[in-house]
Amino acid sequence: MGRIRILNDQVANQIAAGEVVDRPASVVKELLENSLDAGANRIRIEVEGGGRKLIRITDDGCGMNKDDALLAFERHATSKLRTADDLLNIATLGFRGEALPSIASVARVTLETAEPGSKAGTRIEIAGGKILHVDEIAAPAGTTIAVSDLFFNTPARRKFLRAESTELAHLTALVTHYALAHPEKHFELLSASHTLLSAPPVKKNDERIFQILGRDTHSQLLPVAAEMQLARAGLPEPPPWKRDPDVPAPVPGQLRLNGFFSKPELQKLNRNSIYIFVNKRLIRDRALLHAISEAYRNVIPPTSFPVVTLYLEMPPEEVDVNVHPAKTEVRFRQQQAVHDFVRDSLRTALVKARPAADFLSALDSAPTASPSLLPPAASHLPGLPESEPVRPDGAERFEGASQGTGNAARLPFSGPQHAVWNPSGLDSVPEFLVRASALFTQPLQPAAIQDSGQPSQDCSDDPFAAPPFSAGVQSPAPNLNALASLKPLGQLRESFILAVNEDGLWIIDQHVAHERVLFEKILRDRKVEQVERQRLLMPLLVELKPAQMVLFAQIADELEENGFEVEPFGPQTLAVKAAPVGLEGKQLERMLTQVIEQAGEDEARFGQREDMGTLRGRIAASIACHAAIKVNMPLDLKRMEWLLAELATTEHPTNCPHGRPIALNYSWKDIQKAFQRI
Amino acid sequence: MEITVSRQELLKELTATQGVVERKTTIPILSNFLLEAEGERLSLTATDLDQAIRTSAPVKVKKAGACTIPARRMYDYVKLLPEGEISIKLLDNHWVQIKSGRSTTKIVGMARANYPQVPEFPSVDAIKISAAALKTLIARTIFAISNEETRYTLNGALLVIKAESLAMVATDGHRLSFVEKVNEEIAGVSGEKRVLVPRKALDELRQLLAATAEATIDFADDEHTLYFRVGHRALSSRKLNGNFPNYEAVMPRDNTKFVIVSAAELGQAIQRVAQFADERSGAVRMKIEQNELKISSSSTEAGESEDTIDTPYTGDALTVGFNSGYMLDFLKALNNEGEVRLEFKDQQSAGQMRPEDPDAEYRYRYVLMPMRI
Ligand SMILES: Nc1ncnc2c1ncn2[C@@H]1O[C@H](COP(=O)(O)OP(=O)(O)O)[C@@H](O)[C@H]1O
Ligand SMILES: [Mg+2]
Ligand SMILES: [Zn+2]
Repeated sequence: MGRIRILNDQVANQIAAGEVVDRPASVVKELLENSLDAGANRIRIEVEGGGRKLIRITDDGCGMNKDDALLAFERHATSKLRTADDLLNIATLGFRGEALPSIASVARVTLETAEPGSKAGTRIEIAGGKILHVDEIAAPAGTTIAVSDLFFNTPARRKFLRAESTELAHLTALVTHYALAHPEKHFELLSASHTLLSAPPVKKNDERIFQILGRDTHSQLLPVAAEMQLARAGLPEPPPWKRDPDVPAPVPGQLRLNGFFSKPELQKLNRNSIYIFVNKRLIRDRALLHAISEAYRNVIPPTSFPVVTLYLEMPPEEVDVNVHPAKTEVRFRQQQAVHDFVRDSLRTALVKARPAADFLSALDSAPTASPSLLPPAASHLPGLPESEPVRPDGAERFEGASQGTGNAARLPFSGPQHAVWNPSGLDSVPEFLVRASALFTQPLQPAAIQDSGQPSQDCSDDPFAAPPFSAGVQSPAPNLNALASLKPLGQLRESFILAVNEDGLWIIDQHVAHERVLFEKILRDRKVEQVERQRLLMPLLVELKPAQMVLFAQIADELEENGFEVEPFGPQTLAVKAAPVGLEGKQLERMLTQVIEQAGEDEARFGQREDMGTLRGRIAASIACHAAIKVNMPLDLKRMEWLLAELATTEHPTNCPHGRPIALNYSWKDIQKAFQRI
Repeated sequence: MEITVSRQELLKELTATQGVVERKTTIPILSNFLLEAEGERLSLTATDLDQAIRTSAPVKVKKAGACTIPARRMYDYVKLLPEGEISIKLLDNHWVQIKSGRSTTKIVGMARANYPQVPEFPSVDAIKISAAALKTLIARTIFAISNEETRYTLNGALLVIKAESLAMVATDGHRLSFVEKVNEEIAGVSGEKRVLVPRKALDELRQLLAATAEATIDFADDEHTLYFRVGHRALSSRKLNGNFPNYEAVMPRDNTKFVIVSAAELGQAIQRVAQFADERSGAVRMKIEQNELKISSSSTEAGESEDTIDTPYTGDALTVGFNSGYMLDFLKALNNEGEVRLEFKDQQSAGQMRPEDPDAEYRYRYVLMPMRI
């Protein structure tokens, strides 16, 4: 007898389960997607024991008849695909027909389902892939699936599960983000003791954000909306001789983007607060993560990450979702176009908004590892490489979870006024709904994008010109477009410029302000190759370690383009013969060593050398930092005026190239409040 | 302590000393003058710990003693008093009373005991230096001292005293200014004496020199301190330690391409053109070609500009970039008078400027490193 045997279904399903379900959150994801595919408007999820003990999901979708219900647990049984061609044009979240059999092979599953209008429903009980009972029952239209004792028959997998609170936090994050993606649907998530999420339908994404994340978070986020006509259709056309003359050439579709992103003052230590949905499917994509980092480059530190939730929409044929069983990985047919669209839209929104850091919120906005503003993200989604290095000690990656008390996960977006984490039940829901609808009288308008794909400069339908709230409720937040109108009053300890305008009192960090001005100038000069360099009377000698000499050699050409004339002078010494204007002595030496030291960091961290753009930005930032006006430096009023005027002309007057805030605003309103005038 | 003093005499000395008083009052006592009355004189001291000035005025001492008074306050007050006699009297608890005519004021000082010890001019033989020469040396070098505090050996000027000459050099790493007064006869120096004088001491010294009629001053030093005595006023300063760069090595030797132009004309041309230079660097291009010196600049923000000065030149054309501010500093040190010679080698090498005056008392060399624009 040969050695090769066909695996029985149970084993095959367990193997598939390894790819599709690896923790409670991924079970929830599959079931949620099924409910959404079934057209449900109301989805209720109950969990026990962080989802390990029980996950029960109830929807009011199309349900199944008895035959379909039985088929649903067969491998590759799906109602969503018929032919291979359908794969090119997937409009549903599921399509592989793998989830239910996979889940059923590693847990005890009870399915109750009924089609609307049918006389009876069906109940199926399965454990470890074996059908135990099939009964006819009376059931409301829709489907309820209960998954209990996850991994009861695969102890190896069970071992990999984290603390209950961690699993619950992941699961909550996932449901939260699906709820954000589908504002028009009613989502509920309940643990045995608490309502974790209760989100009745609303009309707009923005309302949903407010509803779920609360006012504080909402106020730290800015909206983005943009659309762009693609230059061509994503699928290649067949060669002319194979074209069917009756079938019209494919029309290029549209890219549409909306969502929200954090002001630069809000910074996270990892990518866990970045959520990307493509056609309402939560995905992970390196190219898009890169696009986001690019948008924030030199606005926040390279080691920090923003909070971003993006909803991308595009014709289904522009994106291939059939890359991995978990369906979180996608392939864009026109990746570069999508990447650039996301980067440019975000960047434009950032530049336009120029959000001014609020005085008080800046106090505690340093990047933290404390419970994140948004739940931890999809790096834990099955089938994807972890985006963050796993800590060797096996410590929990979700920081908030470890702070939880007892069994209850301390949800990251806590706060009594929010709909989330409401131990007392649902009674606060009407209150926030009232508030939310009062605030969202003015719909968000999409940004106009010109055909070139360049974000529009036309202000007539500028989505950011008008505050998203009606003016009566909240006045527009001060932004840095007003910089040019600032009147400097003087300095605080010869380090901070105090200035005023109609918006209130402003405190400007003179060093980082100048740094921003220089940074943009240096990059401009570098771009047109007009860097001025000053030769030194006597070469400045800089000592390096041997490894740094190697790094120096890697970036020597770019340094040269930036106005340095540096030559090795012996095995561990560099002789600087010329330097960019404004850099002298110790500052010059520090700047050089810093830039060289950091040259190795990317390689050590990401196993990848930094690209030219990053290197240029880094060198410019370092020169700017070391050549800029220092703290403890007296400035006369003229000089302050000059600096503010220069700052006003910069692209990103909000943050220095390393991400520190430049200007804080103590708003007129806050001042009045503080003095109890209002 | 109780004295009377003429307002005019007192104000002269207050003016001479108040410059060193510490303005940032990290140590409160340093914002005070120390007044000590003994015999027929009132001695007045001010210090910021790095520099100290000690001076004196003739007074009538009713009661010898000492006190400290907030310097700024006293100076401002005395300035506003009419001419006449002023009486100063130490009361209890460090209060000091100042009376003049019908004006009476009390100012609270601090305990004299807390005032730091100020170094005394040593009793060793001092070197006598020409006051006029020192004044010129300082004026022609002080602007080239580095502002970069981390490069402390460049935060002062090097004073080089020889039996037959007196020279001073300063550099900030981009330009270097060297002046030498030859044919001096300086007694008590064998070989060469080099000391690094901090900028602030030079500033004070310059003021003391401007206010004196004496032909010579006394100079002395010990391990840590430099001493200058200008008339009845004495300045002591902490020495800057460390190696001043080897300035002889950077002085150009073969800058054979040169033009001679009027300092005034050159200064005006540079000022005009520099308006259109990069705001930060002030870089301008100097181009010498067939009987012309062309000065030009351009920047994306401001535009471009060019000036031409006619001057004999027949060598190869050459364009070199320089920081216009550095060039103007030199011309200003010459009061924009006379003619200057601009000497070049090539685009990369140091340029040199010097007064074109065959019978100058001073040998003055100004070395500038070029910029690539
Ligand atoms: N909640 C539900 N309501 C209605 N039909 C469902 C539901 N869940 C699953 N199904 C049916 O079961 C099939 C199999 O589901 P699944 O194994 O997740 O595969 P897929 O979603 O890839 O089709 C689906 O195609 C769908 O027809
Ligand atoms: Mg499915
Ligand atoms: Zn910075």
